[in-house]
Amino acid sequence: MCILRDIAAIAKGMSVTFREMFRPTIVENYPKGPGPLRGARFEERYRGVHVLQRDENGLEKCVACFLCAAACPSNCIYIEAAENTAEHRVSGAERYAQVYNIDYNRCIFCGYCVEACPTDAITHGHGFELATFNVSNLIYRKEQLLAPRPAHLGANAVFNRAEVEGGAPPVVAPGE
Amino acid sequence: MADLVSHPDEVKIVSKRFGQGATDIDRYLELDGYKAVQKALGIGPDALINEVKNSGLRGRGGAGFNTGMKWSFVPKQSPRPKYVLCNGDESEPGTCKDRLIFEHDPHSVIEGVVIAGLSVESHVGYIYIRGEYRYLSNIMQKAIKDAYARGFLGKNIFGSGYDFDVYWHGGAGAYEVGEESALMESLEGKRGIPRIRPPFPAVVGLWGGPTIINNAETLASVPHIILGGAEWYASLGPPRNGGTRLFCLSGHVARPGVYELPMGYNLKKMIYEVAGGIADGRRLKAVVPGGASTPCLTAEEVDVPMDFDSLMKAGSMLGSGGVVVLDDSTCMVKFALRTMQFYQHESCGWCIPCREGTDWLKKTLARFHAGEGVKKDIDNIQYLAENMLGRTFCPLGDAAAMPTIAFIKKFRKEFEDHLEGRPCPFEKEGVVKQLPVFA
Amino acid sequence: MADVNITLDGKKLTAPAGTLLIEACKNAGIEVPSFCYYPGFSLQGACRMCLVKIEKVPKLQTACTTVIGEGMIVTTDSPEIHQARKSMVELLLGNHPLDCPVCDAGGECELQDMTFAYGAAESKYIDIKNHREEQQWSPVVYFDRPRCILCYRCVRVCGEGMDVWALGIQNRGVASVIAPNKEDHLECEECGMCIDICPVGALTSGAYRYKTRPWEMKHIDTTCTHCGDGCRTTLGVRRADTGIEIVRGDNRDKSGINGDFLCIKGRYAFDFVDNEQRIKQPLIRKDGRLTPSSWEEAFELIGRRFAEICGREGGRAIGVIGSSKTSNEENYLLQKFARVVLGTNNIDHHRTGDFPAFARALAGKLDATASMRDVFKAPAMLVIGNDPTNQHPLLAWQIRNNVRLHRSRLYVINSQPIKLRRQATAFAHIPAGSEAKLVALLAGDDSVLDVLVSENTPREALLSLRDRLRGEQNLVIIFGAELRGEEMARLVKVGSAVSGAKFVCLGDYANSRGAADMGLYPDLLPGYLPVTQGKTFREEWGGLPDAPGLTIPQMVDAAKAGQLKALYVVGANPVARFNIDPFAFAKSFVVMQDMFLTETALIADVVLPGANAYEKSGTFTNTCGDLQLLRKAGEVTGTKPDFEIIVRIAERMGFDVRKLVPFGGGMWADMGQSRGAQSGEADRHSVWLEAHGLETKLSPFDPMAILDEIQRLVPGYHVSRRTLLSGTDQHTRIGGPGILHNPELIVPANDDLFTSGTLGRYSRALNSVLENQRRKPVETEVAAD
Repeated sequence: MCILRDIAAIAKGMSVTFREMFRPTIVENYPKGPGPLRGARFEERYRGVHVLQRDENGLEKCVACFLCAAACPSNCIYIEAAENTAEHRVSGAERYAQVYNIDYNRCIFCGYCVEACPTDAITHGHGFELATFNVSNLIYRKEQLLAPRPAHLGANAVFNRAEVEGGAPPVVAPGE
Repeated sequence: MADLVSHPDEVKIVSKRFGQGATDIDRYLELDGYKAVQKALGIGPDALINEVKNSGLRGRGGAGFNTGMKWSFVPKQSPRPKYVLCNGDESEPGTCKDRLIFEHDPHSVIEGVVIAGLSVESHVGYIYIRGEYRYLSNIMQKAIKDAYARGFLGKNIFGSGYDFDVYWHGGAGAYEVGEESALMESLEGKRGIPRIRPPFPAVVGLWGGPTIINNAETLASVPHIILGGAEWYASLGPPRNGGTRLFCLSGHVARPGVYELPMGYNLKKMIYEVAGGIADGRRLKAVVPGGASTPCLTAEEVDVPMDFDSLMKAGSMLGSGGVVVLDDSTCMVKFALRTMQFYQHESCGWCIPCREGTDWLKKTLARFHAGEGVKKDIDNIQYLAENMLGRTFCPLGDAAAMPTIAFIKKFRKEFEDHLEGRPCPFEKEGVVKQLPVFA
Repeated sequence: MADVNITLDGKKLTAPAGTLLIEACKNAGIEVPSFCYYPGFSLQGACRMCLVKIEKVPKLQTACTTVIGEGMIVTTDSPEIHQARKSMVELLLGNHPLDCPVCDAGGECELQDMTFAYGAAESKYIDIKNHREEQQWSPVVYFDRPRCILCYRCVRVCGEGMDVWALGIQNRGVASVIAPNKEDHLECEECGMCIDICPVGALTSGAYRYKTRPWEMKHIDTTCTHCGDGCRTTLGVRRADTGIEIVRGDNRDKSGINGDFLCIKGRYAFDFVDNEQRIKQPLIRKDGRLTPSSWEEAFELIGRRFAEICGREGGRAIGVIGSSKTSNEENYLLQKFARVVLGTNNIDHHRTGDFPAFARALAGKLDATASMRDVFKAPAMLVIGNDPTNQHPLLAWQIRNNVRLHRSRLYVINSQPIKLRRQATAFAHIPAGSEAKLVALLAGDDSVLDVLVSENTPREALLSLRDRLRGEQNLVIIFGAELRGEEMARLVKVGSAVSGAKFVCLGDYANSRGAADMGLYPDLLPGYLPVTQGKTFREEWGGLPDAPGLTIPQMVDAAKAGQLKALYVVGANPVARFNIDPFAFAKSFVVMQDMFLTETALIADVVLPGANAYEKSGTFTNTCGDLQLLRKAGEVTGTKPDFEIIVRIAERMGFDVRKLVPFGGGMWADMGQSRGAQSGEADRHSVWLEAHGLETKLSPFDPMAILDEIQRLVPGYHVSRRTLLSGTDQHTRIGGPGILHNPELIVPANDDLFTSGTLGRYSRALNSVLENQRRKPVETEVAAD
């Protein structure tokens, strides 16, 4: 009786094992999975490393209004503003961020900066692999945070208004 | 120069000398000219003011304030000179009465100014003529020159020992300057922007001196009151609304023109009998009873006597007597837009509600009329107008807001007909033309 | 005036008759919003924000144009009023570009505040906004037209306040626009008052545009370092890799002696501090060239040489030249250093006003000097000489607005048709150099009339001016450097005949008066005490040289004769100012401390990089004698305040520093732990100290340590320390016996609105304005409205 009960228990247990064996895997195989994310998957709302967005002309959306820095509870955003000129245009408005640093030693990924941004310039990306052996590497500069220039810019003259209208050189963000 | 019209119901007092060549001083003298001044010289200031007060003469410019009362506010003693101002800056759309007075009877205005001067012991008078009336300034200049030549003006007028000078001054084309304190600013050579009141012009007016300022028609009526007597003049109209008034009938009527009718004359009778009814057999739609700034009356509401108090009761105003008649071919949205274009163009820009309000009303109405309106625009137009009303620096904002509110309230249906991308139902071939810019 | 009873929101109040309703509300603690109303300027009634309900009046009334009346019952907030104000904000926002994230005014914008207060954040309008391009009116003034809400404050401050009338209104209706006087640009005094007074971001400053945001800066109230008037200027500072950078100068805190006023220099000319020519490390002349070295090396050299010369030849062989732009503490320390450490009375400075003669003339009369605030309140003013509009802008502002707001009478006597004549009740245009004759005339000597009479000023005008002046009371008499010595004494005598008369003696630089008060004279100790009578100081300091020392010209002669072995120049430029032959000091050891390599650097053997008034704490005394606090705002790495440099030199000479600066008497507290470790947090320790009225005097480099001694020993400086530290100006009396000097020693600075001694040369803002003016010839002045 005793043996029979044991066998039944094992069979029951193994039945779960065998059943699951043929179902798709739910566990993510990070960091050994396929693709650039190495198996990691994200919900859209995930708050990862910030991304500074560009507008449709490839100009930076950030106008250096300092509202993100003001909203930041951990005081991790540092900005220096400068004025755009006709020769050197970085953002769509009169002012742009000459320096934009986020100190990820301090950042708590609360998303207040994204809420505060009036131009939807700062957003949370899905980057999360921040670990480093040197804390000074955790201070991200604007060049690290900026979204890449849209591929269509330069590829097709229609998208690059400056080229179409003549005169002004194509927009190049500092650091590129 | 326009043709004159007439009707048997007219009581010709101010218009007595129209079309009789009274611009010539000799002809004017033949027509009892300058008799009132000579009589006034013997009456004395207090009695003069009382006479005008008793006649029930109310300001013909629009506000309808008792003229004699206004004069009595001028202090007897003043360290600064006192002035008399004739407001001939007639710019209200629908109103064209002062023009006829300047054109046909300029001396009566001069006479009125001198009598007003005598009543407050002033020695200087200014006749301010609307900028667009350049062609009338020659007539007025000649009249003043002639009066000086005869010794009716200047030192020792009529040998009485009293000195009185009259100058004319042309405006630069601003409706706003019809407002009395703005007119003074303009006369002083500044931007035509109203002043803060109090102090009122009767105490601190032109160049800081006590000033009486009256409409040209008001002043032109004064000599007749002095000659005919206060009781006679008062008896012409209903109580507290003495005398006659020049009504400028325009719009879709058979015989438009300026008619002098007693105060309290029925508006319906005025449209259908005096002006000969609606032209081309169409039906009456609305009437603007006193110039563009007064709320309109619908066809059902026109059976009212035309005097200050009755019209007030009917929810409108007598204003400056410019009766604009609209028939059923008129688009009220377009009419509202046209009115607002005028006020937007004429706002002096001093205070926020008028400057910004008229501009937004114009923009919204223009878009609305072109068929781009959305439902909330109708409420927005009313909201805007209601928020301008009573909050502006001078009455111009009210003048823009009041008719707009009336248009929305009384013709909301027509506004709704413009919605949902439909173009103006009144425009031929469904095309909305670019409206002419008022300049 | 009699009081009037009114009821405000149910509160029964009394206020003086003639008060405006909006002011009565403000005094009762009820806020009535307004854009166009600004105290002290003409009423507009244009913005309609201050609408209130007055009982028995059908329409809402504007509180800014209503004078309170007996029994008036007023409601300042109700749904109707709230809606009226909300609709005004809505209408304004209709055309206002909502570029707050970019706008300079964002964060300190009155329209933003109103939008928050009245909740008009959602727009009802969907039509296109009217747009116009931004304009640059001058190197320092930009105008963004769509942002303008047409409150006309700028027009009024420029016309009524500044008497410049450079701004006006063009067009009408919605096309109305503020316009500058010369088509597309301004020709004016560039005071920037229009920018300061703008409630929104329509007028922006060329120096500050798009640099940062108001809340990102730290705001530090300090005293302007340019002219002798001592305006308070608020410097906005932020971190920078070179130390602390000053980004903005403005007049945020209107509580200073300047009230609303600030001129171009106070507002923009802080930028000399980060000029690239600034010296940032000590320079020592080696083989004829100034070569960079370390502070240690420089101090070592100076200490050794000074000690050597003192030991060998005595203090006589060393000369010291002080500055009119260093603080009172530094000046006091410098003369103490000269007299006690070096043992010499050879100390002088660039004199721009004859203050010792002024002290002598006033001897015995207390309260006979007028403060800057008195000038604004005086019933009558007499201005002899000088051109306050150019040389003393704040004084001119006070005079103008006293005339405008208080109907004060102004009498102007000048050899030039200065601009203040436009406010004058009487203006006497006298021949150049005849100011002394005029004083004689005022004293009753009619024989000088022939000299004074000209076609502009007839005999009768002069006599009637004299009669009118004699009939005045509480007259404030202001005079420039035209009157010196005996002539000044005579004027003071004549003026004192007028009951309640007060005087202002004009000096040109920010601390000219302070330098004089602190005894930067070869024959005077602090407080105008002749060196021969300095008993208190002798006892305090334990000995003083008795004989008067050398003036600057005498030092030059002594150097030429080889008697002056060393010269110590602190923040002055004597070579340029006195046109000194550089070879005169060829054999002397010259130490200079300044911010820039000025002409004096030609003769210097050691140049030490000093700090300016914006980079140190201390006090300044303005030309009227008002003592004000300096607060440290900026910082440039590599420089040191003059105070510290002097103390270090004394230390290197082997002197006991404790005898020079009595430090250590203050509070001892743990500075490290209580201080907020995070950047941006308030310094709690200093807050605590301030709350208890205490100061730290822990270091020999702390100027506050020597302020104790100044207050104790210098007559006239016994002012309330607590009031001083709170940032309020304190009027000092001019004391001491004074002395008569050779009038030739006074060299007026002759700065105008756009120059500021040596500092002006290094200011980008001032230079850009000057350059702009050179391009466009300045026309004659604009007639007042």
